[in-house]
Amino acid sequence: MEGVSYARMPRVKIRELKDDYAKFELRDTDASIANALRRVMIAEVPTIAIDLVEIEVNSSVLNDEFIAHRLGLIPLTSERAMSMRFSRDCDACDGDGQCEFCSVEFHLRVKCMTDQTLDVSSKDLYSSDHSVVPVDFSDPSNHESSDNRGIIIVKLRRGQELRLRAIARKGIGKDHAKWSPAATVTFMYEPEIHINEDLMETLTLEEKREWVDSSPTRVFEIDPVTQQCSLLNYGFGYALFSAFIGNAIVNSVHNSKLLSLSSSRIISRTNSKEWCLTFIVMVVDAEAYTYDDEVLKKAEAMGKPGLVEIIARQDSFIFTVESTGAIKASQLVLNAIEILKQKLDAVRLSEDTVEADDQFGELGAHMRGG
Amino acid sequence: MEIGSHSDQSKSTFCLVDEDHTFANPVRFTLNQDPRVTFCGYSIPHPSDNRVNIRVQTTGDPAKEVLKDGCQELMHVCQHVRGTFDKSVNDFKRTKTNTEQNMDTK
Repeated sequence: MEGVSYARMPRVKIRELKDDYAKFELRDTDASIANALRRVMIAEVPTIAIDLVEIEVNSSVLNDEFIAHRLGLIPLTSERAMSMRFSRDCDACDGDGQCEFCSVEFHLRVKCMTDQTLDVSSKDLYSSDHSVVPVDFSDPSNHESSDNRGIIIVKLRRGQELRLRAIARKGIGKDHAKWSPAATVTFMYEPEIHINEDLMETLTLEEKREWVDSSPTRVFEIDPVTQQCSLLNYGFGYALFSAFIGNAIVNSVHNSKLLSLSSSRIISRTNSKEWCLTFIVMVVDAEAYTYDDEVLKKAEAMGKPGLVEIIARQDSFIFTVESTGAIKASQLVLNAIEILKQKLDAVRLSEDTVEADDQFGELGAHMRGG
Repeated sequence: MEIGSHSDQSKSTFCLVDEDHTFANPVRFTLNQDPRVTFCGYSIPHPSDNRVNIRVQTTGDPAKEVLKDGCQELMHVCQHVRGTFDKSVNDFKRTKTNTEQNMDTK
């Protein structure tokens, strides 16, 4: 038995954390583990969703199965899901999968009495368990209008009625997407960007600006770095300098007496004071880089192929997790790890019996060269 | 989840039912890190069948044991990630409330 762990232990750092959104870094691990985490988050973390609908009255414009389908897709708060049993595994109920341990009952009774169109929304669904309710998407701040709350299921006209009873069960995204708790889970390789300073020096300001702008997302920016600078306020000189931000630089320089405009430096002289500006291209947001090679292609087109080197670090990932609201984003990640551990346990423990069965006759025959 | 193995204990193919890339790829990676493993790979015979074959060949230890150890190792990694994530969340929440308090008192 291996006593010493030969695998590297990953590190996690959280960047952003809201109720339904989490952004974190996962380092010192392999893409296969990061991908496994992502796949489990999407497809195998259990939630609760409406699975059986008994319709008593439906005189709306949508037919029964249409409404049942819509009800299934409504996200329900599923904190209980990890501890619930699957209906098929439940031995407490009498076979119909509707007992209190494995299911939650909802009912909806609406009738439109007024001339105004009645919106039947998820707010009208009443649950038998107050911990499992349709997710409330309203903004926590008070000045959000109360009209836009709840997912609209159907709209009713005067005289139309909808009465139904629904059973919600535990399930996983693999069976049906309504049970997936993740709106989207993505991870990207962390980029490492190295700018070749020497090559960058040979570019003019215009070329630099062109190159920086060729990136569809704002990864680089030109920054004027002043050398021997004294930011004193004497009249024209000060006004000139304070205008040195962004593109105004080139224009405003023309106002002063330009001594020289070399490839990347502007030396100007006003009021007998000199200062020299060097424009450097710096990385302002490395993670905005989407691995499109636009900046590389532009560098080649400009005749400077080694201008920048961008490497995707193979062991550093930035995860973005957005949840539907059924489970909190941080809880989603924790549940995913839990499910992965359960899978590993299942395989480990089932190894105790060796079965070279008839089922594997084919595999066995193939292996034996049959 | 079942096993198909043969006369030589150090080389065998494990056929897992109801599993896919989600499980097999990390296990494959972890086993490849193990110095006792000479070969480890997985394949999915047909995407419509929910089966995955993991092939393990070792330097002498029984392949079953090595697979179990690999799963164990991966479990430790998962535990560690979980603990680190929990700690990170708590740290983040703490620094957030600290900055909010600082902003309130200022």
